[in-house]
Amino acid sequence: MRAGRRFLLAHRWQTLLAVLGVALGVAIVVAVDLANQSAQRAFEASMDAVTGRATHQILGSPTGMSAEHYVALRRDLGMTASAPVVEGLVSIDEETFQLIGVDPFAEAGFRPALGGDAQADLTGFLIGSGALLARTTADRLGLVAGDTFAVRALGEEHRLTLTGRLSGDADIDGLVWVDVATAQTLLNRGNVLDRIDLRLEQPHTLQTIEAWLPPGLRLRAADTRGNAQREMTRAFRINLTAMSLLAIVVGGFLIYNTMLFSVLRRRRVLGIYRMLGVTRGEITRIILLETGLLAIVGIGLGLLLGTVLAQLLLGLVVQTINDLYFQLTVREVSLPPASLATGIGIGLGAALLAGLPAAVEAGRTAPITTQRRSGLEARQLHRLPWLTIGGLVLIGFGYLGVQYPSRSLLPGFAALFLVIFGAALVAPALLHLASRISAPILARLLPGIGHLAARDTGAGLSRTGVAVAALGIAVAATIGVGIMTGSFRVTVAQWLDRTLQGDMYVAAPSDVSARVSGALPASLVADLRGLDDIAHVSTGRSVELEAGFGPVQTLVIEMAPQSYDGFKLLTEMEGGAWPAFDTGAAVIVSEPLAYHQDLQVGDTLRLHTTEGPRRFRVAGVFQDYGSDRGMLVMRRALYADYWDDPAVGTVGIYLRDRATLSTATARVRALLAAHPEQALLHLTRDIRERSLAIFDRTFAVTDVLRLLVIGIAFVGILSALLAMQLERRRDHATLRALGVTPWQLWLLVAAQALLIAVTALIVAAPLGLAMSQLLIDVINLRAFGWRLTLTPRAGVFVDGAMLSLGAALLASIWPAWRIARTSPAAALREE
Amino acid sequence: MRCRALLLVLVLLLQGCTPDREGATNEMTAGGLMGESAAAGFARATEPRRFAFPTDHGPHPDYQTEWWYLTGNLEDDQGARFGFQVTFFRFALTPDNSEAASPWRTRDAWMAHFAITDAEGGIHHKAERFSRGAVGLAGARAKPFAVWLDDWRLAADPDSPDTWHLEAQAEGFGLRLALSSGKPPVLQGDAGLSRKSAEPGNASYYYSLTRLAAAGEVRLGQRHVAAEGSAWMDREWSTSALSREQAGWDWFALQLQDGHELMFYRLRLRDGETDPHSAGTLVGPDATVIRLDADDVELTPLSYWSAPDGRRYPVEWRMRLPARELSWQIRPVLDDQEMALSVRYWEGAVDVLGENGTPIGVGYIELAGYD
Repeated sequence: MRAGRRFLLAHRWQTLLAVLGVALGVAIVVAVDLANQSAQRAFEASMDAVTGRATHQILGSPTGMSAEHYVALRRDLGMTASAPVVEGLVSIDEETFQLIGVDPFAEAGFRPALGGDAQADLTGFLIGSGALLARTTADRLGLVAGDTFAVRALGEEHRLTLTGRLSGDADIDGLVWVDVATAQTLLNRGNVLDRIDLRLEQPHTLQTIEAWLPPGLRLRAADTRGNAQREMTRAFRINLTAMSLLAIVVGGFLIYNTMLFSVLRRRRVLGIYRMLGVTRGEITRIILLETGLLAIVGIGLGLLLGTVLAQLLLGLVVQTINDLYFQLTVREVSLPPASLATGIGIGLGAALLAGLPAAVEAGRTAPITTQRRSGLEARQLHRLPWLTIGGLVLIGFGYLGVQYPSRSLLPGFAALFLVIFGAALVAPALLHLASRISAPILARLLPGIGHLAARDTGAGLSRTGVAVAALGIAVAATIGVGIMTGSFRVTVAQWLDRTLQGDMYVAAPSDVSARVSGALPASLVADLRGLDDIAHVSTGRSVELEAGFGPVQTLVIEMAPQSYDGFKLLTEMEGGAWPAFDTGAAVIVSEPLAYHQDLQVGDTLRLHTTEGPRRFRVAGVFQDYGSDRGMLVMRRALYADYWDDPAVGTVGIYLRDRATLSTATARVRALLAAHPEQALLHLTRDIRERSLAIFDRTFAVTDVLRLLVIGIAFVGILSALLAMQLERRRDHATLRALGVTPWQLWLLVAAQALLIAVTALIVAAPLGLAMSQLLIDVINLRAFGWRLTLTPRAGVFVDGAMLSLGAALLASIWPAWRIARTSPAAALREE
Repeated sequence: MRCRALLLVLVLLLQGCTPDREGATNEMTAGGLMGESAAAGFARATEPRRFAFPTDHGPHPDYQTEWWYLTGNLEDDQGARFGFQVTFFRFALTPDNSEAASPWRTRDAWMAHFAITDAEGGIHHKAERFSRGAVGLAGARAKPFAVWLDDWRLAADPDSPDTWHLEAQAEGFGLRLALSSGKPPVLQGDAGLSRKSAEPGNASYYYSLTRLAAAGEVRLGQRHVAAEGSAWMDREWSTSALSREQAGWDWFALQLQDGHELMFYRLRLRDGETDPHSAGTLVGPDATVIRLDADDVELTPLSYWSAPDGRRYPVEWRMRLPARELSWQIRPVLDDQEMALSVRYWEGAVDVLGENGTPIGVGYIELAGYD
């Protein structure tokens, strides 16, 4: 044990790098988990606060329900365990909040959260546009009870008065509680409620309500919505976790490397131990214990680092959830012990697994004083074919796994990791091959030492093989993820170009994640239609309809002639999708919706209409990247048959051929200015830019993780090459003694490093391409339901090459410097 | 009997927070609300007015507070005794009566209390509700007369306006009654102006229906019991608050078998003395009304009941009207008839016993401001 500690301390750089590898790996796993968990906890807490003790909810049409139903429920049915809710989004100081309108008289027993503040001024809440905020929120905004503050809702500014601050369980950031009347006023909802919360404790009351339910209203269990939202972000969270696991895999190579190195360097000492009667098992255990200690230090550091990193990731994760899914406010990283335990478990597990080969190797040490390393290398060479075959088998299994029809993400990731491990096993053989092929070339390029460089690299496979594998995987990961995001971006940009057929769009102010988009005044829509320069308009209205399988985002569209080109139909029914869409009870669905709900063209889809459930035929499936939950598109006239909601949220404007964009824009602007209600004009090119900016933002977290994996890989390659070169110090000294100059020696070392780097690239390029293909065809499809066009860019490979070669060169400088500085005689005395 | 609103305001103001969470919610719903009793902008009861019926059964929104207070004693055909109380309170949050952007915006907060005393079962059932006075959830109107909160409702029969229907259903108990008045409304105080202290405007408009024939059914769990008897309705509206010296009150509404009814409220001062503004009326079988002043009635507690929280209520009384040589024993049909809700008070059915202990009538008493 003491010998081990002395060794690890003596090779402190080596040890430090290994500790750093574990630390970084654990940090990333923990940070991703913490960020995920914090977002999830905030979501649950806010869900609990909003749903409260409700067991069921009554919902109306996409635009809500008349409040009369609620009055009837209480007055005629005596169902007093009921509470009305009006919801929407508002912003305070550019920050988005969820606005929840409740009736404090009906709240008793529903949202205990609200009762917390005995100082709340209820009169102000009811008649004075009062609002309750979490203490955290109020503190952040610098508000105390009695202060007034500005909120923006649907583009209009309103003033609210803070009538109370919620603490304890109710201290949930991101929510603004107001009276139902205030919410209706702010959100311009007339006398409409979004839902009625119910507390049904006895089965017979449930039956009574079901029997009473007027057409157009429906009853659902209160946790349905939470489940739907949890489901929405699940794929996103799994993807992040997989990225973080990749980090620990790369970190594991570092441990493997360090421990193997330490065993090789101590083979003589271990041989003596064996002579003194220490058994193989004991030696194996000693090495594993050392690995464990190393890992514990790394894990400790990793936990600290991970907590800090989690804060950065949390912001990015929440940003993505807000951009893509729903409004969530989280600022604090919570530290659930389970997350920390996961980090410790994974870190320790990976470290011990990585240390195991070294421990087994140590156990094999024969009880003699001198044991040549060549024995190990000979075994390594002997094992090479088996390793390679094993690797190919793993890759084969990976590909077979992908072929197996499944919608689950986990087999997808399992296949991905199988291919990665397979490639790692094949890498040493490739290096062996490369060293043989390159030997004559290097011999010519670097007379005297070139041949040596190549043969030596091939001969030290136990070490160089691992370096190639680690570097190869790291570079492949950057290539794979890089190609995937690049392909995604190109696909989305093409899709945006196709979708945005209009010259400009007028939209009612609304927020991305609101359930119902804002509405434009009818007079404005009519005026736009009448404008001189305009050839056609299309109108859109985004609503959430209730399908048999849950809520579905729906675009109600009045098509302009050009609008048809805006949809790329992937499959359509016989005779084409459009004739059915234009005349019948048919809709088209986006690719993700078709994938997730297993909808085929010709199938029917059940939707809750104002007249009760109705079936609609799927006429076609179109390409869409707007929502990974999927989207349904319905003709305006068909919608009008079943839902009483004439509102229009956006108007697409198609100019006449002779019209110029600038004069038309000026005319539309003038028209908008003449209307008192707010409407926003968006030029198509701005929408495209903004959409891509949001796209980039949602991938920021992926990019950060990719950079971190590269960082670990860099540490890994540095450590592997350093270890190799330091271990060859005695051989290098021999060479020096034989008259090789320091410069030549550096060339030798650099040539070896480059050989490894190039081989790693040879592994990484196809592996990266395969990874990107898996990510696109399997992971993205299964997670989000959409297909992307694989578009590899040369730049991604160049980045990978630079990473690989740069690390190799850097890693050769330090050993060369050491060699040059040491006197050959000193180095020749083996430690 | 204007005191009852004062009870609410006072207790809510003084009681502050309730320990349990549900209570805390109620505190927000009721407490915070009535604490704000800025009277400015509301009409005040300063001089006698002309009462007109049925218009005055309806709401008086110019005044800040108003209530409809029904109590009564019932019996089934086996002679089992029941008491009931159904009360609707209206509190204006603001004198501002202008139209709001949302129909949910409310000017009035409503509270209702409902209790049934099951003398045989020895159980006093009670429940309360709150609502805004908007979108038809709660409210009152004169023609046709109705006052309601959710499905608790007192309303004139559309076909025969002199008959009223009272219905209230709560968890585990309910009441459905038809009511008709045997006597014209009795105007309390000075022709309906009931002064509560020396300060002008510190008064209410107050009338009572002292004998309503009541028939219908009482529900206890799944059991529906046909019952009949007599009820009493107090109506009061005002804007002002109880003076600081007044600690609480004891209110008596008695219906005697000989056709008399008596209402008397004793305002208790903080020093334990009776406020000289205590008053009442004695109504004869022919509906003649005699005013009773503070010193016309002598009240002596005979026994006490202690609530679990330690409050001690004098639930049994000796009432004497010395000038008329009358002396009655007033005995609760159940000791525990405490309304332990957001507002705590004791309100319960009583028997009236004559000199020799023979039953001569029934009634309801209210004991407020005890701690």
